[in-house]
Amino acid sequence: MVSTRACGCPSEEPSRGLSRRSFLRAAAAAGVVSGLGGLGGPLLSTKLAYAADGTSYTGDVLVVLSLRGGFDGLSAVVPAGDPAYYAARPDVAVPANLLLARDQMFGLHPALSPLLPYWQAGTFGAVHAVGQSNPSRSHFAALEEMERAAPGSSLRTGWLDRMLGVRGAGTTFQATQLGSGMAASSFNGPAAELAMRNVDSFKFGGNSAINQRRAAALGAAYATAASTQAAPAGAALGALATTAQLAATAYVPANGAVYPNTKLAKALRDVARLVKAGVGLQVACIDYGDWDFHENLGGPTTGGNFNDQLAVLAGALAAFAADLGTGMSGVTVVTLSEFGRRVTQNGSGGTDHGHGNAVLLLGGGVQGGRVHGPWPGLAGANLDQGDVRGMTDYRTVLGEVLQKRCGAGSLATVFPGFTMPYSLGIVRDRS
Amino acid sequence: MAAAGGVAVVTGPLAGGPSASAASTSLSSDPILHLIRRATYGITPGLVEEVTRLTWPSWLERQLKPSGVADTLCDGHLARFPLLSMSTAQVRAAQPDNSWQTMQDLGAATVLRAAWSKRQLFEVMVEFWSNHLNVTCPFGDAWDTRHRYDADVIRPHALGRYSDMLVASALHPAMLQFLNNDGSHKRSPNENFGRELLELHTVGVDGGYTEADVRTSALVMTGCSIDWNTRAYTFRPTWHHTGPVRVLGWSSANASAAGGATVAESYLRYLAMHPKTARRIARKLAIRFVSDNPSDALVTALAQTYLSNGSDIRPVLRQLFHSAEFKGSAGQKVRRPYEDLIATVRTLGLGPDTTGTKASMDLYWTVSDMGQAPLGWTQPDGYPDVATAWQSASGTLGRWNAHLNITARWWPNTLTGHPLRTLLPAALPATWGGVVDALGVRLLGQKLAAADRNAVLTFLQKTATGTVAANDQWLTWKLPYFVALILDLPPHGLR
Repeated sequence: MVSTRACGCPSEEPSRGLSRRSFLRAAAAAGVVSGLGGLGGPLLSTKLAYAADGTSYTGDVLVVLSLRGGFDGLSAVVPAGDPAYYAARPDVAVPANLLLARDQMFGLHPALSPLLPYWQAGTFGAVHAVGQSNPSRSHFAALEEMERAAPGSSLRTGWLDRMLGVRGAGTTFQATQLGSGMAASSFNGPAAELAMRNVDSFKFGGNSAINQRRAAALGAAYATAASTQAAPAGAALGALATTAQLAATAYVPANGAVYPNTKLAKALRDVARLVKAGVGLQVACIDYGDWDFHENLGGPTTGGNFNDQLAVLAGALAAFAADLGTGMSGVTVVTLSEFGRRVTQNGSGGTDHGHGNAVLLLGGGVQGGRVHGPWPGLAGANLDQGDVRGMTDYRTVLGEVLQKRCGAGSLATVFPGFTMPYSLGIVRDRS
Repeated sequence: MAAAGGVAVVTGPLAGGPSASAASTSLSSDPILHLIRRATYGITPGLVEEVTRLTWPSWLERQLKPSGVADTLCDGHLARFPLLSMSTAQVRAAQPDNSWQTMQDLGAATVLRAAWSKRQLFEVMVEFWSNHLNVTCPFGDAWDTRHRYDADVIRPHALGRYSDMLVASALHPAMLQFLNNDGSHKRSPNENFGRELLELHTVGVDGGYTEADVRTSALVMTGCSIDWNTRAYTFRPTWHHTGPVRVLGWSSANASAAGGATVAESYLRYLAMHPKTARRIARKLAIRFVSDNPSDALVTALAQTYLSNGSDIRPVLRQLFHSAEFKGSAGQKVRRPYEDLIATVRTLGLGPDTTGTKASMDLYWTVSDMGQAPLGWTQPDGYPDVATAWQSASGTLGRWNAHLNITARWWPNTLTGHPLRTLLPAALPATWGGVVDALGVRLLGQKLAAADRNAVLTFLQKTATGTVAANDQWLTWKLPYFVALILDLPPHGLR
């Protein structure tokens, strides 16, 4: 009964029985049922909708995709020019002749082909060998620390919460988690965020005509309540009015974009919808987990575990970019994962918890079409305990995006104790 | 400090407390209702009468000695979670490696107990300590030990001595793994536990310790680990740092590796009885039961009681509930999503499944979706307990939807209970104002304040003096919406 962990690191991915995946699936199923659908139709008077945007925020909408579970950056952005890569992964390396957009060192996994046009157009790029300053190889600790983004301090807030706090008051939709009723811990703290499985399900369950009266009654009753109750109730009623307006018209993606039938694509579709609706969205978070392939990473074709997981990511992002079209000039998507994978494959055709990782960026302001950041090399002496050395602190990536695209000045509050070492040149100044 | 009837009572400048002016006008300050809202997960049919009959102080005393409170219904339903009574070894034999089933069962059983245990104050305190000494659940590494943490650390000491709980927690495999002390070696100490022990579990971030103290704290605890095969606590003398150690006012020669476990326990017990720890626990209890901004005087008084009783929690709670500041604090605490959900089930008089565990599990998923899975806070500091942390629109909508889903028995659909119409008096009030008043009393223990009452009447499109027909649609197919609206209003969102 002793679990075998070649990496010696805590694993949260069970081998059999009730797994984290089935656990979350069950939660999602329960949630779907708990949100018993209404009958549609206008829910509230329009005067509650689109609360005035109290901010002067004019930066990019930042979309943070959390690739929870330990994204294998080495399989996505493959260092084919580093012979140590093929030596370390005799069974699961991506063959060089299948890679896309190869340069002297790197090539993209073929499952990223839907995003190849954006790579070629220079709006899709990557940074490699990105890590945390205090690496942990525990999913839990690494994810919490990454989303807290304040190593060495006692802060309990998340970096996105602090980012919003610096900006001041925004709308109900200023910070929205899509695809889940629970917000990422990067939102922990006083700034208000909204978490919803999707726009269409953010509504009252039951009879819509009665619920219209219910909303009016609640608006009247909470008007005299203390602010601790009145504020969230008012925000909920306001958001309900907005989602009802959005739901009143079937959403048609632009430019012929077709979103795949995946949870991630649906969440990104909602992000595009909110961006276009002008509801004051500043940052959207989506969780796209299940990257913890300790076993059977699989080959670079359909049916391979990593391949299929990456194809979902690429397909959803490509549809999102197509749908927003020129609107992508005001959107930056960044992927974050708590750690990369060990360079050497394990005995199960998978990879164990590692450190340095690839970050993917998509957006009109991205200087893409290439892999940014210093590359440490995979020869044994260059490794960090068998892992890709973290050459670029992930806050260097985020900091550049925040300062060049999202109107941030000093990062002292968002990333306390952190100093930007230099600019990677991953995004252009917003102008 | 004056004593009355054997109970220490806080008097004088504490009366009313500093934030009494924030009290809601919509919530009754009736002392029995106030006690029930704070010391339990909410009123149930008959609970107001029970407290009234026993009298407020006697009911509190019974709750402080939970072993004397029969809990047949809850015990019977808990037997439907056989994994929870198993040892770690038994779970490992019964379940596939890394199965989350036992942890999921623990979450559902936590809901079950909160909703239906008669030992309500005990369950409230179990939640309090589970957050104070948080080991998030589910937590992959603790798949076979997390339920034992609940059974062997939190529950035995929830109304006992904190020093005992702290030692049990620090040496439990679930905590050892959660905060990485299991792998902390004298040559490469992991400071995670040593730091949180000071910052969260005992003296607090302003406790006066230094970074050097944090490192020493970790060194003192080196060797406290787990057996990788059995997942039982084990002390590894060869990993233990030896030599003189000093943290705050505690020191030890720490001369032998073999004596390391004794040294670690001495350190833990010192921290549990540190005056800063006493203040920290006292303040957290006051925030839990009194208000988000308890007075310094109350905190000081509770901390003194904690210290003079060897960290026994019961005298502290007794003093807290008898304080003037508690009595004047009606309406000053908001219900978090979990408390709202459980209070909804309780006030509607609904019971658990006839067979199986589905309702508890469904409630667990529902509240997870609302952002407050019991035991589910992922960071080591536990769920926040102040209103400002719960100003969420999605959480609010989640609560409102849960009210209707539960009232209409759409979801969970295996809760048991009488037809909804029995919430109303058998002899219907003659007027709609009377019906609204009766439902308010039945569900909240009080009539609605004017603004809330008017909002309900407007919703019903009725006047207060309008005559009631027994077959009115608001008393038949629309009754779930009527009842849910009353639960949606501000008073049910307070405790």
